[in-house]
Amino acid sequence: MEKGYLSLILHAHLPFVRHPEYTEFFEEDWLFEAITETYIPLIDVFDKLIEDGIGFRITMSITPPLLSMLTDPLLQSRYIRYIEKRIELAEKEIERTKHQPEFNRLAQMYYGYYTNARKVFAEKYRWNLVSAFKKIQDAGNLEIITCGATHGYFPLMNNNMNAMRAQVYVAVNHYEKHFGRRPHGMWLSECAYEPGIDKILRDTGIRFFIMETHGILFASPRPKYGIYAPIFCPSGIAAFGRDMESSKQVWSAREGYPGDFFYREFYRDVGFDLDYDYIRPYLHGDGKRSNIGIKYYRITGKTDQKEPYSPEKALDRAAGHAGNFLFNRQRQIEYLSTVMDRKPIVVAPYDAELFGHWWFEGPQWIDFLFRKIDSDQKEISLITPLEYLEKYPVNQVSTPSPSSWGYKGYHEYWLNESNDWIYRHLHKAAERMVELAKTYHCLSENALRNRALNQAARELLLAQSSDWAFIMKTGTMVEYAIKRTKEHLLRFTKLYDDIRSDNIDVAWLSNIECKDNIFSDIGYHIYQ
Amino acid sequence: MDKEIFKEIFLLILEIIKALCEMLWKKIKGFFCLIWDRFFGVMDISSSEQEEGQQEWGDTGEDTWPVTSKGLSLKTEESLLQVERKEAVYAPIIPDLPEDYGDNRIVLMVRDAECLFAYWELRKDVLDSIINTLGSMAHSAKIVLRVYDITDTVFNGNNAPDYFDIEVTGGARSWYIHTGKPNRSFCADIGFLTPNGTFRLIARSNSVLIPRSGVSEVVDETWMSIEALYESIDASGQFGSSESVFKSAHKNWQEILKEGVASPESPRVSPVSKK
Repeated sequence: MEKGYLSLILHAHLPFVRHPEYTEFFEEDWLFEAITETYIPLIDVFDKLIEDGIGFRITMSITPPLLSMLTDPLLQSRYIRYIEKRIELAEKEIERTKHQPEFNRLAQMYYGYYTNARKVFAEKYRWNLVSAFKKIQDAGNLEIITCGATHGYFPLMNNNMNAMRAQVYVAVNHYEKHFGRRPHGMWLSECAYEPGIDKILRDTGIRFFIMETHGILFASPRPKYGIYAPIFCPSGIAAFGRDMESSKQVWSAREGYPGDFFYREFYRDVGFDLDYDYIRPYLHGDGKRSNIGIKYYRITGKTDQKEPYSPEKALDRAAGHAGNFLFNRQRQIEYLSTVMDRKPIVVAPYDAELFGHWWFEGPQWIDFLFRKIDSDQKEISLITPLEYLEKYPVNQVSTPSPSSWGYKGYHEYWLNESNDWIYRHLHKAAERMVELAKTYHCLSENALRNRALNQAARELLLAQSSDWAFIMKTGTMVEYAIKRTKEHLLRFTKLYDDIRSDNIDVAWLSNIECKDNIFSDIGYHIYQ
Repeated sequence: MDKEIFKEIFLLILEIIKALCEMLWKKIKGFFCLIWDRFFGVMDISSSEQEEGQQEWGDTGEDTWPVTSKGLSLKTEESLLQVERKEAVYAPIIPDLPEDYGDNRIVLMVRDAECLFAYWELRKDVLDSIINTLGSMAHSAKIVLRVYDITDTVFNGNNAPDYFDIEVTGGARSWYIHTGKPNRSFCADIGFLTPNGTFRLIARSNSVLIPRSGVSEVVDETWMSIEALYESIDASGQFGSSESVFKSAHKNWQEILKEGVASPESPRVSPVSKK
């Protein structure tokens, strides 16, 4: 009989990037890289575990923008083009490295890796990876939860309850459309909790959300079990807190597993390393060198003299790290079970894209961990937050403290000198959207106006994506984030003016409907 | 013979001059457009007269690209858009967002447990009318943010137990306010302050609660079960009817349990390394 539980949560998210107006678009590669390096490897791991009869439980948030992109025919077809190019390059690499055995076997590995990705994507799941995740969810091993419609940052839109509610309701409807039932949980984008959001979630039937550690520790009244049991907000929704200890082992750049010297080095990529004319056909139209995905070296150490990557040694390290992680959780849960009068839950949430994309061996680490938990020990069981609530339906009532999992634990990363200018515009647009929804609250026969109103809601939601503020702060790809913020706000403003003056530009509207085609069945009345 | 050669050379020179002039003209035109957009804001985004090759990504001119009606199949959408596709290689030139929206207001936001952010937009007619009431003191009046600590107070503008002023300079339209006081509520006024201490309100902000930066001193424990609440939501088959949900939530709070156990020691928050 287990002494406690581990709940592994992966947050899978990418901002909505889709540019039909260009033949190719650099930022669309974010999705293609994540499909190749994270989503397909994870699906492979989960499928194999199920096939081998390994019982496991994992929770994943798949955000509405990601869900939309994974099911978008244009992006799906572009992914095929992307993966074909990678396969072609891997073939060339096998030829180029034929006299360098230590690189040649890696080129062969990448060839296998890319052809497998194409097979899983095109043949096994027929271009629709959401169906893969749904299948694993229906098998009972995966709990998919949702997130704000466009990963909106709730504490920075808290002056407009309708805008917060729209982020939640659109997400819940979108989830239901794809998975055939309502979500049980929600990942608050950036774990950013704002008092009041709990009531909105509760009204949609959502049962739980995840918070940063201090959001629970600083809750009032003081939670008896700290972060090792959920609390109920007074509204009746459960909040689970992130366990710092297990997070640090995986996240930390210095102490974390991904920095092991035998793991693959992310920053040595053929896109930068190889002869320009040779690699040029695989770069984007502007010809700027960028990451391609084929990486031949291991981290090696704090040196520029990197050594060739050895998949066998790296796999060996991943197995060791899984064992170490399990050992630490066993000790942690052993201790907690002596001081708690119930079985503790250790909640370990991570960005999904860490696994495979940044930490190449991450999916294998999960595979080893789950197999070890299943066969090597009895102290720990895997669990989803919902299952824990079923086991422990009575919980302490406490009001969580506003917080986020970002830098310094609050909202500074999304509100600072680099991005604070966006909020006056976002707030105004949200206010205007509510005004429009109230003005045109009756269902009207005016189909064109309804279309414009729905598109205005889409533009607002897209502008609210927390990713833009985040990118503005990180300092890379800033121009793109500014472009997206301004573009959606300008489109919203034009729609607002056109609707108000009853002068809707139908050609222009059709054009932006085609570009910003997220949430095809949105109803603007949610802003009422 | 020589004359013919001279004529050819002369014509060639003329051609070169013409080409140079054309290049120069394009440059001047481009520069003028840039200046125009900069000073006169959003250009007419329905205009279709842009020269081919000037359409850069980010330019809202792209919104004029080919028309398609909703619900077209992928292939149609692709082929319609094919006509005007460009490589995404340029830095964005995007019209600026409106400088103001004709509002007179100040908005307060929480950045972290010690710092607030305020932005504002002030209407000229409101400012002028206040300046008129200040009379001779108008020229020496300063614009200040008056930040009130309104914790546990139903604030009416005059009853805040504590406040401090920040002079906002340089035509600022936003400000970071370091309160250094976690777990307190604040509200801010923006207004004119005269040397004799008269404060004239221009706009008042929303109120905000700064989060805690440590564990709560409240240790009373309340416990509850919420199963019935969610059963009622599931049964209703729809969401949005918050009132009935709220009622049923209250009904089920009767299951609240009380225990008198002390909380485990909780460490203070440490900076998050993740982001």
